[in-house]
Amino acid sequence: MGSPPGTRSPTEAVNSLRPVPAEMSGGRLHGRRLALAVLVASLAVAIAFPQQISTILAIPLLAAFSLGRMVAAYTLAVAFSIGVGLAATSSRRAASVLLPLLDVLQSIPIFGFFPAALVFFVSSFQGHPIGLELAVVFLIFTSMAWNMAFGVYESLTTIPRDLEAAADSYGLRGWLRFRRVTFPAVMPKLVYNSMLSWSNGWYFLVASEVFTAFGATHVRPGLGAFIAEAGITGAADRIALGIGALAAVVVALDVLVWRPTSLWAERFRLETTGRQVARVPGPYERLKWLPRFLPIRTATRARLRPVAVAWRRISARIEKVYAVHPDVLRRLAVINLAMFLAIFAVVGIAGLAALIALLARPLPAEAQEIPIAALHSFLRLLAAYGIALVWTVPIAAWVGRSQRASRFLTPFLEVFASLPAAALLPAILGISIVIASAVGLEAQLAALLIALFSMQWYLLFNLIAGVRSIPADVEEAARAFGLRGRTYWKRLLFPALVPSLITGSITAWGAGWNALIVSEYILFGQRIYRVTGVGAMLSEATFATPPNASLILLTVLTMIVVVVGMNKLLWRPLYRRASARFRLEVE
Amino acid sequence: MSNRNDVVGRTGAVADFRSIAKVSVGQIIGLVEAVDEVGGTADAATISQEVDMDLDHLGPILDAAELLGLVTVADGDIRITDLSRKLLSANLRERKTILRDITGRLPEFRLILDTARQAGRPLGRQEILDVIAARVGSHQAEDLFKALVYWGRYVELLRYDSESEQLTLRAPTK
Amino acid sequence: MSPRPAILEVRDVSRSYFEDSREVKVLDVIRFEEWEGDFVCVVGPSGCGKSTLLKIIVGLDRPTSGEVLFEGRPMRADNPQVAMVFQSFALFPWLTVEQNVAVGLEARHEPADEAGALARKYIEAVGLDGFENAFPRELSGGMKQRVGIARALAVEPLLLCMDEPFYALDSLTAQTLKDEILQLWSNPDLPPKAVLMVTHSIEEAVYLADRIIVIAGRPGRMIAEVDIDLPRPRNRKEPEFYGWVDEIYSLIV
Repeated sequence: MGSPPGTRSPTEAVNSLRPVPAEMSGGRLHGRRLALAVLVASLAVAIAFPQQISTILAIPLLAAFSLGRMVAAYTLAVAFSIGVGLAATSSRRAASVLLPLLDVLQSIPIFGFFPAALVFFVSSFQGHPIGLELAVVFLIFTSMAWNMAFGVYESLTTIPRDLEAAADSYGLRGWLRFRRVTFPAVMPKLVYNSMLSWSNGWYFLVASEVFTAFGATHVRPGLGAFIAEAGITGAADRIALGIGALAAVVVALDVLVWRPTSLWAERFRLETTGRQVARVPGPYERLKWLPRFLPIRTATRARLRPVAVAWRRISARIEKVYAVHPDVLRRLAVINLAMFLAIFAVVGIAGLAALIALLARPLPAEAQEIPIAALHSFLRLLAAYGIALVWTVPIAAWVGRSQRASRFLTPFLEVFASLPAAALLPAILGISIVIASAVGLEAQLAALLIALFSMQWYLLFNLIAGVRSIPADVEEAARAFGLRGRTYWKRLLFPALVPSLITGSITAWGAGWNALIVSEYILFGQRIYRVTGVGAMLSEATFATPPNASLILLTVLTMIVVVVGMNKLLWRPLYRRASARFRLEVE
Repeated sequence: MSNRNDVVGRTGAVADFRSIAKVSVGQIIGLVEAVDEVGGTADAATISQEVDMDLDHLGPILDAAELLGLVTVADGDIRITDLSRKLLSANLRERKTILRDITGRLPEFRLILDTARQAGRPLGRQEILDVIAARVGSHQAEDLFKALVYWGRYVELLRYDSESEQLTLRAPTK
Repeated sequence: MSPRPAILEVRDVSRSYFEDSREVKVLDVIRFEEWEGDFVCVVGPSGCGKSTLLKIIVGLDRPTSGEVLFEGRPMRADNPQVAMVFQSFALFPWLTVEQNVAVGLEARHEPADEAGALARKYIEAVGLDGFENAFPRELSGGMKQRVGIARALAVEPLLLCMDEPFYALDSLTAQTLKDEILQLWSNPDLPPKAVLMVTHSIEEAVYLADRIIVIAGRPGRMIAEVDIDLPRPRNRKEPEFYGWVDEIYSLIV
């Protein structure tokens, strides 16, 4: 049918719906097309890079390794967050203990955990590879677990009261209550936070694989390690191959897993009665540019049907057990709570003990360099932050207000943003060398750029959301009164952006500190690129033989102090004042 | 001067069906009942006061009721028809049958019913959206689709599975 | 009134809240009974505690003093003979219409087939057949409340309690729904055997009820218990009708 839409006659439209032959319908047709595409692509690549065939064949295996670690960490994070969320809602006192703990954990830069985890796990397992794997999985877990736990807790505490009343009134108790009310209520935030957590997780997976590639005696196979090793040897084509493979995996996951899942999770969304706040993006704004892929969903549902049947059978059995022993669930809840409190207590006490032990020893010589190093790192991040602001604010203003720009750019932005900066590290360093080696500043430039790449996406997407949340009528009033140029920015755009700017900045700075750890000390092409900074000190302390535990601790503590200090003294108060003054409410 | 004095069955412009897209069955029947309660005829202002709805909200309901042939509007006066008297005296099941006959004759409905009949298999959501968009443009296709599904389900002409997003014709159960 | 035993007995129910060691009384000694075949409305202005009263009657809340007896025994929240319809519909958005309606049956461990059949029966009774596989967000407000009613009927209760069921609906939809409820009520084959409804609209109460209990003031006290003996269907334009409405208004103000 050649005529453009909107001008076809109804008969034409009807005639175009000829029955599709059964065996070519839906999933199988797509599957065949996909397989053909992959075959053609592989042949093309094999012809283009004949000497890389063995590498190319190894890449899916490496991807599988990386993916496997992500899945392991994610499963742990889901179990943790549901467990902690339930424990925190079981009593008010439990909440008052667990929530602040989670808050503190969340504000610690993830890479603060890693050297400690690395040293701990590797030494516990006497250098056996399993120790390294556990350290990496633990790191990814910490990047996922806290925000998911908060998401679960928020969902549990915001179940509408009338739904709870209805559930009570119709006798929904125990397992049935969990299955029909509690768990579905948790689903939307769980899915949304899972998508976020996976984005975070990829970053830390790659970064930790890169990190260990530089120092530890064993390097675990994975895409991040592949890219890092290519960086060490300076092989540009392998770097490109690794980055490309990573991008392909991330996009494939988006298409096959996240898009269908977020569509499925839509049904759990609690409607907001009445008020339609203009243009506020919900959690499902991400990946909207991808088509709905119904064949994938139907095929997945068909594959998962035996799982669903088994689930129903197990559920029925659990309910029978519950009917006979009604306080089983209550006892389980108590055990759950006790377990988490115990874990936190043990870890806390162990940590404190180690802290005291280390502080009792004399300070290492390098300790006096820490304040200056911290200052360097801070200034570096400040510069990166400034550069990020310069380009993200205008772009966000443009994308947030223009439908066409948004439709065109969003796919690129989202895909590009999903590439962890750590994966781009060798490429960035290579470019920096080309640009700045004449003036000997290549290491500084690389560190700056990597920090920039880590920070800018958080700023950009938060700002876009902020622009989009300007109610349509306020926007129209501005236009009606002829607000343009500087006045428009001063009176409307900037004030509207301030809250999301602050939230974005908090996350961006957190990401920035993490980025420093991989960016201030880099091994590339047999050379070491190092700048003054706490990240470099931490890396060196971790890779020293034996690892310099006190120095590790001191640098991590410094970072924690700076991050938490900035949060408490700068960002939170700013946010509070900003939301009081600048919040745009739709009445 | 109003030109709204046709009976059901006109091949009206799409604007008419759009009014059905915004209102629910209960509102239309409620309007008919309200007019019936004041004797079968009333001016719009009176009805607006009776049901405590301003004309912005009442307008689409009036349009829809008119489209279905349940009221006539002339010179600002609303009058119920014999069809609506039959509707009011019927029970729930019979009301559905009456409404089914009416909606089944609307051109937009006929389009979808014919499409489904010709295809001979369940239709997917996107296919139907394309057919609708070919007629009214893609902008309103989504709203119209939802309205068709809503009414189709109510009068039991259509079956739509929200999960698999498939639409099938339905033989009405008496 | 009659020698039959009462289905519901509200015995001197009072309810207070305690804030900062001060007692805020919401309900003051409410006493009435309901028998089989009664359609009772509790009317009162906003803030007189009638929703609280209904929650206490249904067992979702405890009275500070007094008791509520159902068939002679103390009332419990999950009493299978009592079902509630909510002002805000309270449908589970992630369940289809059929799953929502069957939820009370599921809680009682009814086998899936029978629960489904019962659910479909009552979905048809409220006129929603065709929508079994729809989700609540695809329904209009009136239809959502019909699902709420079907859900209540599906457990085949003796007593149906409704908390301002038309509050969130526009007047046209509400009117249609009221007539449909009366149709259901007049059908002897359908549950329930008694209805207790809370509303702030006196017209609504006079339109629907056999007996009206008037509560007013802060704390809410029972001012009157009025029998409405108008034949159904009632016409709001008739003088007897708005005579009753006027009288009840005058009792309150």
